[in-house]
Amino acid sequence: MDVTLPQRFIELSIHSLKHMQSNPFQLNQQTLQQNSSLEQIHALQPIPLNPKQTETTIAAVDTSSIKLGETSRGIIIAIRGTSVWKKRRNYGYLRVGPFIFHITEENLKEVYTTLLKAYFPEQNSQASPGFAQIPMRMANLLEKWLHASLAKTVNNGIILFDGSLTAGTPDTPVHQLKEILNTARSMGNTVLAFTKMTTLRLNGYLITDAWLNQKPPCLIEIANLKPKPPLVLLGDVYVAKLTNGNCAFRLDIDREVPTPHKVEAVEKLLGNDLITHSYPETLRLAHILCTFTANEVIAMQHFIQQKYRLKLVNRPDMHRLLFGPFGKGESHNEAV
Amino acid sequence: MKLYKKEGNIIQILSFPNETVEKGDYLLVEDGEAGKALIVQVIDVQFANIPGVLEELLRSLPDGGEIIQGEDIDPLEIAPHITYIQDSRLLICKIRATVEGEGLSPSSSWLPSRSQSTIKKLPISMLFKLARVDGKLPIVLGGTKEASLLTIDATSLDGRLNIITGKKETGKSHLSKLLITSLLQYKATVVVLDLNGEYAGLGMTSDGKRNAYYNKIHVLTPSQNFKVALNQLHLNVLLNILINALHLPGTSAREFRRIWQFLKEKGSLNLHELGEAIRNWHCNQNVRDALFSRYYAMVNSGFFTDNIAEATLLEECLFKAREEGGAIIINLRNTSSIDRQIVVEYVLGKLVELLTSWKLKAVFLFAEEAHLYLRETYWDDIVTRMRHFGIFTTFITNQPDTIRENIYRQADNIFLFNFTNENDLEVVSRAARVDAETVKSIARDLPPHHCLALGKVVKDFPIVVKVKALDVKTMGETRLFFT
Repeated sequence: MDVTLPQRFIELSIHSLKHMQSNPFQLNQQTLQQNSSLEQIHALQPIPLNPKQTETTIAAVDTSSIKLGETSRGIIIAIRGTSVWKKRRNYGYLRVGPFIFHITEENLKEVYTTLLKAYFPEQNSQASPGFAQIPMRMANLLEKWLHASLAKTVNNGIILFDGSLTAGTPDTPVHQLKEILNTARSMGNTVLAFTKMTTLRLNGYLITDAWLNQKPPCLIEIANLKPKPPLVLLGDVYVAKLTNGNCAFRLDIDREVPTPHKVEAVEKLLGNDLITHSYPETLRLAHILCTFTANEVIAMQHFIQQKYRLKLVNRPDMHRLLFGPFGKGESHNEAV
Repeated sequence: MKLYKKEGNIIQILSFPNETVEKGDYLLVEDGEAGKALIVQVIDVQFANIPGVLEELLRSLPDGGEIIQGEDIDPLEIAPHITYIQDSRLLICKIRATVEGEGLSPSSSWLPSRSQSTIKKLPISMLFKLARVDGKLPIVLGGTKEASLLTIDATSLDGRLNIITGKKETGKSHLSKLLITSLLQYKATVVVLDLNGEYAGLGMTSDGKRNAYYNKIHVLTPSQNFKVALNQLHLNVLLNILINALHLPGTSAREFRRIWQFLKEKGSLNLHELGEAIRNWHCNQNVRDALFSRYYAMVNSGFFTDNIAEATLLEECLFKAREEGGAIIINLRNTSSIDRQIVVEYVLGKLVELLTSWKLKAVFLFAEEAHLYLRETYWDDIVTRMRHFGIFTTFITNQPDTIRENIYRQADNIFLFNFTNENDLEVVSRAARVDAETVKSIARDLPPHHCLALGKVVKDFPIVVKVKALDVKTMGETRLFFT
């Protein structure tokens, strides 16, 4: 794959770390999740699918972010992204990162906008995210960069995104996603976005629960969705039940692709990739390969300690301290 | 290295890949503030339980078991750190002693600081200096893996019960030969019950030339150059042979005692007269038959003779050895089971007789696969009664379960070669001078010719040693079909 290294990521990562030498930081691991909300959904009849064996490259992208700990001035985060592709029955991957950043009040805006401008210069610099959002937003920048890279380099393939094709959010501006989809389309690719957790409901039921009894593989188009502004749907929304069992996913398919091609793209996915629990293996691998394991977190903390002579300090967990066994820990509380 | 955990007398130490520590190594855990240090021995090396390792391994094999091909762009070079953490090890160590000032104590009642303690490797030479493993009569057993020599003191074998055990072809006989020749250097009297004729070449170099021990090695082969005349025997020795080796019932033994007294008074103690006396003796027919069957067993063994010139005096060999040191090799190769027992009964009886009368000071007895010729009651005798007479036994066996548990309990020194069988290790681990974990963990991984020395010879600091080569003629090799 012709992928240029995300040079600015590296430069900023090293630069930010150099400014935090000998600062103590608190170990704290936490995952951040994103939500989306849409209303007014109407059901349609299932579209049966026939797997197509026509040789097609399947590619997928996923990214991970993690907070490694706190310093007296900010937080230390790590991000990593992976592209996985399946070509002629073989899987391959490109994994970039981890990039470790020391984010402080002073450099938060600088780091974010510098990266944004470096990779998406045409995008207007919006308000920079807060501490809580920064790991997710940085990972999102890397993810978009990987999306763009795949869109440019894969020919006549299926590109799988993790999430939806909803734009207009702070981390996914409409212009940015549109451009990625346009590039992908110009290369003959179809973008399919799988959402693991959806909030879309139909008559009070989650859309992914509404057609669990349908015979797989099939798609159910959820038409006439009207998202609240500024949200924009750049894909048509489907429920994909691709295998037997109790799993179905929201699937967004590039809206600009003609309808027969949309269905054909899913059929090609079925014919070219391994599908378990209605989820494509390529996307699963992308997720697996970018996720940080506890071992890697320890290794990154070791790296920071070795290279930047960081003294690790564990701040007392006030919840545990005050409530003993009834204190579920700060991270748990924050997640709630 | 970092101190991680202590449970009982087991200490767990976290070690990193750049620190090379292996099973058997000694470590010094120094607590500067307490002014004390623990001497611990690594008995097992495990992977540290790093969280996330399973995920790490699983994701490297997601493609139907084949490694997924890919490229990692790792600009900060975190990968070596991941490997470093992943490969970190947990050293399971046994506390052996506490160093306080200049002295050593076996105590493990204190706990060194987890955060302040420093841990470093303790060279064997340093350990020996601390433990004062030295002596005036050094025996070089071989080399430790640090290339230093392991020297034990011959006095640590004196008055002791030793066991050399390990599976086949690991070097047991080699070590026993080394001990025998080393004892000969210090003018010791050694008796070897040589089951396979392996020790007959002790006086020769590997190329067949005479070595320094040539004149001190006396090989006695029963019914060839080792025969006894009845009139050289004490009645008790012969009765032991008849009762223990030939299972003569008590009633018949009493008749035999009368016949013996009769012949002795007559001055005609020989095989021919004994046969005639049994034939003509007024006794129950069954007793006569029992006596006759034992008589013929004795005659057929070829070990007894009426020809005084033919009879070798074991005593003479032992007296010769007493002056300048010497080894009497009783070659039991090609000797039947019954005959072996007859010979061993005779030799042990004779030794006890000479030792009780102080004609001999002490004897080092080396017994290979003793269960094949030693009667049941002798085991206890050897570790209790005979020891006080001055018979210091070394058992050599590849079947550790053939030696009784009480022998292991009372063994002073054990030289343990490789064992892979759990049951074998279980048996040896009953020895009082060592803990079961050490035996099971270290002995399983010993390479050939390496032994774990346990007990007084190493002041209870188990040491792995590569037994040094010995230039003696190899005998008793296994006969092969294809070569």
